[in-house]
Amino acid sequence: RVSSDGKPPKFQPPPKPVIIDRKTQKEERRFLSPEFIPPRGRTDPLKYYLERKDMIQRRKVFNIPEFYVGSVLAVTTADPYASDKSKRFVGICIQRGGKGLGATFVLRNVIEDQGVEICYELYSPRIQAIEVLKLEKRLDENLMYLRDALPEYSTFDVNMKPVPRMDHEDIPVNKLQVRMKPKPWSKRWERPKYNIKGIKFELPEHKMKAAQKWSQPWLEFDMLREYDTSKIEEKIRKELSKELEK
Amino acid sequence: MMPIWTKSGEKRAVTLLKVQDCHVLRYVSKEESGGKTAKLLVGGKNVSPFSKPESAHEIFKEAGVPRKQKVTTFNVTEDAIIKPGTPLYAAHFRPGQFVDVTAKTIGKGFQGVVKRWGFKGQPASHGQTKTHRRPGAISTNKAAKVYRGKKMPGKMGNIYRTSFGLKVWRINTKHDIIYVNGSVPGHTNCLVKVRDSKLPTYKDCNKNPPFPTFFADGDEELPEDLFDKEIFQFTDSSVTFA
Repeated sequence: RVSSDGKPPKFQPPPKPVIIDRKTQKEERRFLSPEFIPPRGRTDPLKYYLERKDMIQRRKVFNIPEFYVGSVLAVTTADPYASDKSKRFVGICIQRGGKGLGATFVLRNVIEDQGVEICYELYSPRIQAIEVLKLEKRLDENLMYLRDALPEYSTFDVNMKPVPRMDHEDIPVNKLQVRMKPKPWSKRWERPKYNIKGIKFELPEHKMKAAQKWSQPWLEFDMLREYDTSKIEEKIRKELSKELEK
Repeated sequence: MMPIWTKSGEKRAVTLLKVQDCHVLRYVSKEESGGKTAKLLVGGKNVSPFSKPESAHEIFKEAGVPRKQKVTTFNVTEDAIIKPGTPLYAAHFRPGQFVDVTAKTIGKGFQGVVKRWGFKGQPASHGQTKTHRRPGAISTNKAAKVYRGKKMPGKMGNIYRTSFGLKVWRINTKHDIIYVNGSVPGHTNCLVKVRDSKLPTYKDCNKNPPFPTFFADGDEELPEDLFDKEIFQFTDSSVTFA
């Protein structure tokens, strides 16, 4: 290389190696089931601690996999009245509710043109197996609008094979926009209170504008509604990892 | 409140009651109290001694115990007398026992007759003038007076009520917690009195209870959790029907 004023070129040190610690990154991003996070209230934290102990105990014996609203699951429950004494139901998870031991999830499927939704309790001893057939997220946390969507969006094959997935990949977000049946719907999903991003609204412009009348733009600035769970989540994650390794 | 499951897979709701610093304060004999049985005064949760005068601290000083928020009486037979100053633990109760739980109900303040007594009120339309939640008639013509105890608006709640015959499902000896079936009067974290059930169906339910009470300095080493026979423990695998 030709130097600028006859002197030897200035020594450029090699770039410092950037060490990306994948293990700690993975641990930070690890999934914490939403029923572990205690709600805001005046209850003694001891109660949540005891509930968490029971939940961890159940998870040691029975594997509750990671899943989100929008993933397709197959659940086998014990049933005294079935011939095989067990029942298997496949469906898409449309809602995850409840905190602590009473946590529930609702699976929806359309079987022989009849929409069926079943609400299962995660920690119920009747559940014998939960398999995740397809792990993915959707644009919303609550897919109750699938009741008013065309039935093709809620049908899933009962004998579906589990979709293979690599461990290190991020959870795919399905940006599907669902088409709806003609109105009337069970809820006015176009209103901003539901904040739904996963519907392809085919309503006329003036109706969409009229729905914005019910918007509450001050809600996002309301400080009393803020519930910062980051520190609580940290503590619970540490507790969980310690207990599950035992 | 928390869910628990039985061995057959049925769900029951359970209330958690914590036994927090309970001590026996005084023994009152049958003749002294003038009742049918002897009485034991028991104190609950510890509280700061600075908000009450010295005269109120006498009972606690005799027993050698810090000031308690609540003092209750238990009617006790002669053979179940305990020395004042002994601490009481949750292990006094055993799973499978039946208890009565007394507490002050949630105070609702001054309430109208519809909420307080469940009156039906009047229709919303068809000509009603300013009358939708009123009591209506309060007596008859012949009586010419209003009877004592007539249900009328007033302060609702904040009175002692008891839930009878609640089953004890589980006892946690480490944190002194009793898991009692169903709901219990009172708000969260309120003070509650737990007694052996007086219902005649559960008269012979207690088989070998710790009598007169569970003493922590004794030789018995209890496991951390005591479960009822019917309860599904999370250490077992999922329920299957054969």
